[in-house]
Amino acid sequence: MRAMIRFGKQPRLRFISHLDLQRFFQRALNRTGLPVKYTQGFNPHPVMSFASALALGWTSEYEVLDFGLSAPMGRGRTEQAFRAALPEDLPVYEVRMVDDRHPAPMALVCAADYAISLSGAGAEAALQAVDEFLAREQVMAVRKTKSGEREVDVRPLAIELVRDGAGLRARLKLTERDALKPDLLVRTLADIAGAEEPEARIHRLCLLGADESGALRPLMSL
Amino acid sequence: MTLSDRIESLMATVQKPVRYMGGEFNSVMKNPDEVDVRFAFLFPDTYEVGMSHLGMKILYHAINRRPYAWCERVFSPWVDMADAMRAAGVPLFSLESRTPVSEFDLLGVTLQYEMSFTNVLDALDLAGLPLRAADRKEGPFVIAGGPCAFNPEPLAPFVDLVALGDGEVETIEVVDCYRAWKASGAPREAFLQEAAKIRGIYVPSLYDVGYHPDGTVASVSPRPGSGAPEVVRKAMVADLNSAEYPEKLIVPYGEVVHNRIMLEIFRGCTRGCRFCQAGMIYRPVRERSPEKLMEMAQKLVGATGYDEISLMSLSSGDYSCLPELAREMVERFAARRVRISLPSQRIDNVLTETLRETQKVKKTALTLAPEAGTQRLRDVINKGVTEDDLVRSVTDAFEQGWSAVKLYFMIGLPTETDEDVLAIAELARLVRRCYFSVPKERRAPGLRITVSASVFVPKNFTPFQWEAQLDAETVVRRQKLLRDALREVKGVDFKYHAPDVSFIEAVFARGDRRLADVLERAYRLGCRFDGWSDQFRYDLWLKAFEEIGLDPAFYALRERPVGEVFPWDHLDCGVTKAFLAREREKAARGETTHDCRKGCVGCGVNRYEEATACGR
Repeated sequence: MRAMIRFGKQPRLRFISHLDLQRFFQRALNRTGLPVKYTQGFNPHPVMSFASALALGWTSEYEVLDFGLSAPMGRGRTEQAFRAALPEDLPVYEVRMVDDRHPAPMALVCAADYAISLSGAGAEAALQAVDEFLAREQVMAVRKTKSGEREVDVRPLAIELVRDGAGLRARLKLTERDALKPDLLVRTLADIAGAEEPEARIHRLCLLGADESGALRPLMSL
Repeated sequence: MTLSDRIESLMATVQKPVRYMGGEFNSVMKNPDEVDVRFAFLFPDTYEVGMSHLGMKILYHAINRRPYAWCERVFSPWVDMADAMRAAGVPLFSLESRTPVSEFDLLGVTLQYEMSFTNVLDALDLAGLPLRAADRKEGPFVIAGGPCAFNPEPLAPFVDLVALGDGEVETIEVVDCYRAWKASGAPREAFLQEAAKIRGIYVPSLYDVGYHPDGTVASVSPRPGSGAPEVVRKAMVADLNSAEYPEKLIVPYGEVVHNRIMLEIFRGCTRGCRFCQAGMIYRPVRERSPEKLMEMAQKLVGATGYDEISLMSLSSGDYSCLPELAREMVERFAARRVRISLPSQRIDNVLTETLRETQKVKKTALTLAPEAGTQRLRDVINKGVTEDDLVRSVTDAFEQGWSAVKLYFMIGLPTETDEDVLAIAELARLVRRCYFSVPKERRAPGLRITVSASVFVPKNFTPFQWEAQLDAETVVRRQKLLRDALREVKGVDFKYHAPDVSFIEAVFARGDRRLADVLERAYRLGCRFDGWSDQFRYDLWLKAFEEIGLDPAFYALRERPVGEVFPWDHLDCGVTKAFLAREREKAARGETTHDCRKGCVGCGVNRYEEATACGR
């Protein structure tokens, strides 16, 4: 069986890299005292995965860790053990036990919701570019990937985008093939406005997957 | 904007922001309104280095166990962050609560290495505190400890208190003394006078130093009426089984130098290597019982989730029950996939058996420190190992599947000749032969031999405290000799450094109070992080000496006559000056001194009532 843990990353810990967080969770899993499943082989490590890596500097209230258990375990005990093994800046929100056939969360994710607050020069201009962005049929932007830079149409990758006070709320595509990262969205808005790129604080609100009907639903409820 | 917000905005602009983050698992938060004493523990180097330091973990725990005190951590911000902090007017802050250091009651500083001294000044300056204790009318009292506290004179004007010896007890006594003083409302000087009565606490401002015309020290004596002792004896923990030890350890998020459980299996070392300060100042040997260690390991594995336990001490192979302990630990923790490791390993026969225990779970490079190339020179420094020991250790290791060996040596040891240095290359060749003597099917592929040669620095409170450091020109010539000789040995990687850092280190290791001016000048000229080769500025150091009018060679390169008063003679580290002098004479004759576990060698530490396990 496996457990899916939904946890948050508070502002204080936003500079922990994904790699460091992975190492942290290996130790946290050891601290739980739960019968965690380990890989076989020369250098065994816990069977665990994250739904999606969170970029350095972002905060979140919807990170999902999935790990294997070598013996059945109750949800209550798992949650309790996890709360004790994590610091207050990595709060546990939800725990769900799933069987081994449940798809890996990584494979389920297809979108994410973000709250983006903007400040500094260019903030207001970028906010005002939202209507223009939504009105266009195509918005080309340069996406940096491991293999280099690539120009893509980001317009269809923004599923929803609304202005929310001094910031934005966005539902953006997040799959291995097509993803729009919120920082690229902000840069694109600034480009449309011809303004300087504002400083953005990015907070992940939710990770979403598609249910049988294709509707987007929070990952933990699928 | 709050200080925390200002720190956050700087963190977005610097390398490795995790260094300044705090909030790690097991870090201690308290309500500042509910504590009487706030203690900032400064490690004057980066987070990654400081978080690997056991002493800080012990004291952090010991202080925080008291409900009335709160210890927080402070590290030297790396140069990018320090510059950003200065530009933005952000003061030095604690990691836990992000409180300015200037608002603390006590600022503890650990002095692990002379080359961190400028970082101590940088920290004071970043905290917005006057560098000199005499100019500080408010703010925290600065208390320095660690091995370099045994010659704190170059830092004397900058610190208020110096803690000699084991910190577990005396630090708490200082905290309690401060608490009583704070409640009393007495003037600052009253605290210093009270603290000077605590065993192990040295208050430099209560002592006058007199000099001879030639610059050597004439006398160091307590000011009349100060109540400070003539000689300050170090603090000593009698029994490590009942000493404070953390049951939880902070688990850093980023990678740090030693990211594992550190179990101190014993303190002190009885080998008596004549170059080694730690082997002298941490006497006597006090072991923790295997039962206590198992109990500590069990708790720490559960509290940290670490998958590695390192059995720490100055010479872990000397632990009296090492094979039993290693076996029991391996068995107890195998199911939890916890590895057991020994840090630097000595060449001797106990090792062989221990290797068999530990290699069940881990294989790292075998680290051995013959220190010198010839038996003659090893006898001079009392490094009681032979070529046969080396052959046995490495051959055994190769047979067990090791293929990487690191060999540590020093260049510039007293009486050293070119032949001694060239013999290092012969030892490397010998190790190589040992590898190839193991049949191909039994040995692991890919032999790697690393030879590291550091430059010898004569330290105070060692038998070599009278010796001159070898001049840079000869050091460089011998390094080159060795480099050329090692080129002839296939598969050897040679590591060595320019002698200038070691030269400055030698100056401060045996320096006096007058060097404080040089230190401050060097700091003002821009010296900091001197232990980092990319930051060290030899030119600025030389400029500082010139401007202040002191000759570094006077401190480093001068053989000191018998009978000279040393700047640290009023400090008692346990071993006596007479013992050190005897050891020096034996060194000159090439005579060895046996390990004192085999019989008392009269080092003098048994004058201490806490040295109960020591042959009287």
